[in-house]
Amino acid sequence: MPTYKNNTMRVSEVMMLLERIPVIRETVIMKEAFEEMGRLNLGIACIVDVNMKLLGILTDGDIRRKLLKVQKPFAALLVDDALEYSIRSPITIHLSDTLVHGVDIMGLKQVWDLPVVDNHGVLVGLLHLHPAVQALLGVTK
Amino acid sequence: MDKRIIEVGYGSVAKVKIGSRLPLVFIGGPCAIESRDHAFKMAEAIDLICRRMGVPWIYKSCYDKDCRSSQDSFHGLGADHGLRILADIREEFGVPVVSDFSEPIWGPATGEVCDMVQVPAYLCRQTSILRAAALTNRPVHLKKGQFMSPWNMKNSVRKIEANGNHQILLADRGTFFGYNMLVNDMTCFPIMARMGYPVCFDATHSIQLPTSMGNVSGGQREFIPHLVRAAAGCGINALFMEVHDDPDNALSDANTVLDIQYLENILGQAKAIHEMRLELLEKYGEDNAHLQK
Repeated sequence: MPTYKNNTMRVSEVMMLLERIPVIRETVIMKEAFEEMGRLNLGIACIVDVNMKLLGILTDGDIRRKLLKVQKPFAALLVDDALEYSIRSPITIHLSDTLVHGVDIMGLKQVWDLPVVDNHGVLVGLLHLHPAVQALLGVTK
Repeated sequence: MDKRIIEVGYGSVAKVKIGSRLPLVFIGGPCAIESRDHAFKMAEAIDLICRRMGVPWIYKSCYDKDCRSSQDSFHGLGADHGLRILADIREEFGVPVVSDFSEPIWGPATGEVCDMVQVPAYLCRQTSILRAAALTNRPVHLKKGQFMSPWNMKNSVRKIEANGNHQILLADRGTFFGYNMLVNDMTCFPIMARMGYPVCFDATHSIQLPTSMGNVSGGQREFIPHLVRAAAGCGINALFMEVHDDPDNALSDANTVLDIQYLENILGQAKAIHEMRLELLEKYGEDNAHLQK
């Protein structure tokens, strides 16, 4: 593992907080999920239950693949539950993990985002690739 | 498919459960309450048939017909008189009753008497009606509008759920195919069932030719058995048919109501197909072909 300037930095120091990421309930339909992802300008939505426990994630890539596979009218797809098209056991990271570990996982799994959870599987934030890399490089805005 | 079971019937009447792998339920009666005597006569005749066949059933008749083609058509006996008759039918036959209502203000009275309240197809997306139906706390028989796609019914379902009611029966009564014509898309049943509620086929309105007779709707009743057999094979939980002992002189929907002399024949076929479908599900499992993509 390479040595970075900010090798000891924790995920919790860099993660995006809940108000900046699309977080939707399990009853939200695809159209509403798209709107929320568009509003916050992220290619991922985290789907949670009433206790904020992470149930799944919906990403731009998932949507793209589903559009090619699901042969139903677009109007029908838009009213389906977002949860139906989500990844139900997404890769997550714990808020106390190191940032280096998080970026390693992203590289290994080829993903741009990792939902951040606490000890109880409750969603507390999102590790997004750009700020993670910037933090590792010591770049400040 | 995991479909919620709804229970229709409060107080001393039979509790009719609809959904999942339960027996097929019949919902029927004359389209409109024409008179006390006629309503009782029809209830007695249907009750006899359903008891003989072992089919759980719900009496349906409306006290106000607000969607007639002509303002000169029979409009109904009105809420006070009509609901009193329905209450007495419940009492006499121990059968749950259902009626629709077209004004939100009629919701509480309808729900106070009826075991289930019905939302007319033309009003199926009207928020005020859906809210009023939900707030009765009775199961809601929600008919898919002739202009609605089955998947868009989810929006109407959500309006009912948002008002705290999770007892819904979703029905198809045909979809407009150009002007004055309806068709039935049988895929609407699995699509609506995926919303988590039982589904119903309204056979007699499905063969309607809306306002095809100038100021009256026509109908092709000869197709009722064909459509019923198809719907029963597609997973319905309830079958809705308006029946009458003298269709030619029915005061509402004369061209679509089923002559009661055919009820046993058609209901028997629907029941048999429903039971065979349940046996097939036991043998082969739930329909899941290509569901997971």
